[in-house]
Amino acid sequence: MPADRPPPEGPSAPEDRSMLLDSARRTTEVEPILTVHPEPGVAKPNPILTMDGLRRSFGGLTAVDVDHLEIERGIVTALIGPNGAGKTTLFNLLTGFDRADHGRWEFNGQMVTSPSPDRLARRGMVRTFQLTKSLAKLSVLQNMLLGAPNQMGERLWAAPFRHLWRNQERTNTERADELLEQFNLARMRDELAGTLSGGQRKLLEVARALMSDPALVMLDEPMAGVNPALAQSLLGHITQLALSGVSVVYIEHDMDVVSGISDWVVVLAQGRVIAEGGPWKVIHDESVIDAYLGRRRAGTEA
Amino acid sequence: MDFDIIFGNAARAAFGPEAIILALAAIGLNIHFGFTGLLNFGQVGFIMLGAYGTSVAVATFGWSLWVGIPIGLFLALALAVALGIPTLRLHAVMFAIVTIAAAEIIRILIGSTDAIGLTGGPLSVSFDAGAFFDLNPYADGPQDRYGVGTFAFTGQQMWVITVGWVLVALVSLIVFLIIRSPWGRVLKSIREDEDAARSLGKNVFWYKMQALMIGGVIGGMAGVIDAIKTSGADPNGFRPQVTFYTYTALLLGGAATYMGPVLGAILFWFLREWIESFLRQLSAEAWLPGAIADFLEGSEGIISVAMVGLALVLLMLFRPQGITGNRIEMQLDAR
Repeated sequence: MPADRPPPEGPSAPEDRSMLLDSARRTTEVEPILTVHPEPGVAKPNPILTMDGLRRSFGGLTAVDVDHLEIERGIVTALIGPNGAGKTTLFNLLTGFDRADHGRWEFNGQMVTSPSPDRLARRGMVRTFQLTKSLAKLSVLQNMLLGAPNQMGERLWAAPFRHLWRNQERTNTERADELLEQFNLARMRDELAGTLSGGQRKLLEVARALMSDPALVMLDEPMAGVNPALAQSLLGHITQLALSGVSVVYIEHDMDVVSGISDWVVVLAQGRVIAEGGPWKVIHDESVIDAYLGRRRAGTEA
Repeated sequence: MDFDIIFGNAARAAFGPEAIILALAAIGLNIHFGFTGLLNFGQVGFIMLGAYGTSVAVATFGWSLWVGIPIGLFLALALAVALGIPTLRLHAVMFAIVTIAAAEIIRILIGSTDAIGLTGGPLSVSFDAGAFFDLNPYADGPQDRYGVGTFAFTGQQMWVITVGWVLVALVSLIVFLIIRSPWGRVLKSIREDEDAARSLGKNVFWYKMQALMIGGVIGGMAGVIDAIKTSGADPNGFRPQVTFYTYTALLLGGAATYMGPVLGAILFWFLREWIESFLRQLSAEAWLPGAIADFLEGSEGIISVAMVGLALVLLMLFRPQGITGNRIEMQLDAR
């Protein structure tokens, strides 16, 4: 990640993050969260996302019913829960792809009044999808370039005049090539995205989301369907993201993954937050074992 | 059987005003359907408003043709906005239904007896396109012909054709420039997956609206050429099949390519006229059994349209990307 993104505001952000070693940065980010008492809806030192009374029901089924939840800035937060717990619905609500029945939320210190996906994305909340949405008939590079924000060439009046956007396009292409290199996709650069494997598409989707230098990245099951080698590199990228100051929320099923890279874990069951805390605390929480891990022990999952 | 006449007729249709009108309509539709994925089944509505806007401004209101043409184009633009605001947020299928219905509603309103005072109603409207033909550099005497054999045009036709093909070239160039830009990339991303475009911060509604407006105005240009060519407009010339012919031309040439709509329009008219001429010659042959000759007599036009339809079916089966399309891109759909 480049060092040119502005450091997150708030008391825990050091003056010049690029001067600090990774390990030191990690400590400064994670330490405050370790002091937070692990209970559902607890206040965090420096939240990037705060939601209140968020509710969404489909017919008689209440899919999401979150009284209060804060997502801490600059760390990796895992959102876990059994199937049908409302994880993806919560993602959809927060990113504007679905409308909440009630509730409000604040992103980056600003109330979200009219949640439209594109507006939220431009404000720095970028998501990926459970079923990857790589744009099959565009090349990998074109996919990446789409992620770049504020493009002059995306305005109709400027579009025919190449000299107006050529420089910006070049800068964006350099940035895209950098990210493709990081994500091991550089040799696929000019292939159509539809020819990539499922795992590569997941990587492309994450890399594409990073083109806009987002403040918060929301990944919906980034590891699903990815082969173990690619999954390892994806995990590395997620950790790197948090190190460079990006806040990450991701949905995951694999408990090993969750305990390996998460700084904080939020557990959803039947739409409610039933537990949150550091990964080890949460995994051993009675209610979590009942709601979620209990089923695993029963042998319903491989 | 005289193949010189058959090929002459076919070539005249392929490069004549009808092909120009179809090419412009298809270029506009290519922006909607080919690049943005909008299922516009009412392209004829834009053509109709272009033609009637021009005709009515000149014939009914007595304004200059140079005022009438922008009015025609403006009405096409207005239709795009009026159609887009309520429907672009809906599912693609809804959009298809609304566009085909809107075009029919407009045609029925224009052609109703209540509209006689304004549009001529079921009677066609006609006006004096002299302002356009005054600029004609081609000699236009009754004996003047340009071309060889049956592949020949009058001076007036030559002027329409010259202006028309220059317009097609200009519009194609502009479309090329805007589609290869980042703006065009956003359109393609919307065609592939609207939600992906949204998640990357693109205002999908606004981009679709822009695409609808541009393609609609280009459709309006087709209408303007049509109005000038015939010095008027007739409601029966704007039935839904005009849209289907436009789709046929676009798919023949290759959707989402730059030259596809133009090549497709030329090919469409070449094939249609070739088959019709051929059948007409055939039905006059002495060796043909009487029953078949009677069947052909007078139905050449209909059979030729059916043959073009058959060609389209075969094309979809064996070369679904059209003449100029990219096979690999098409195969990605199957994944």
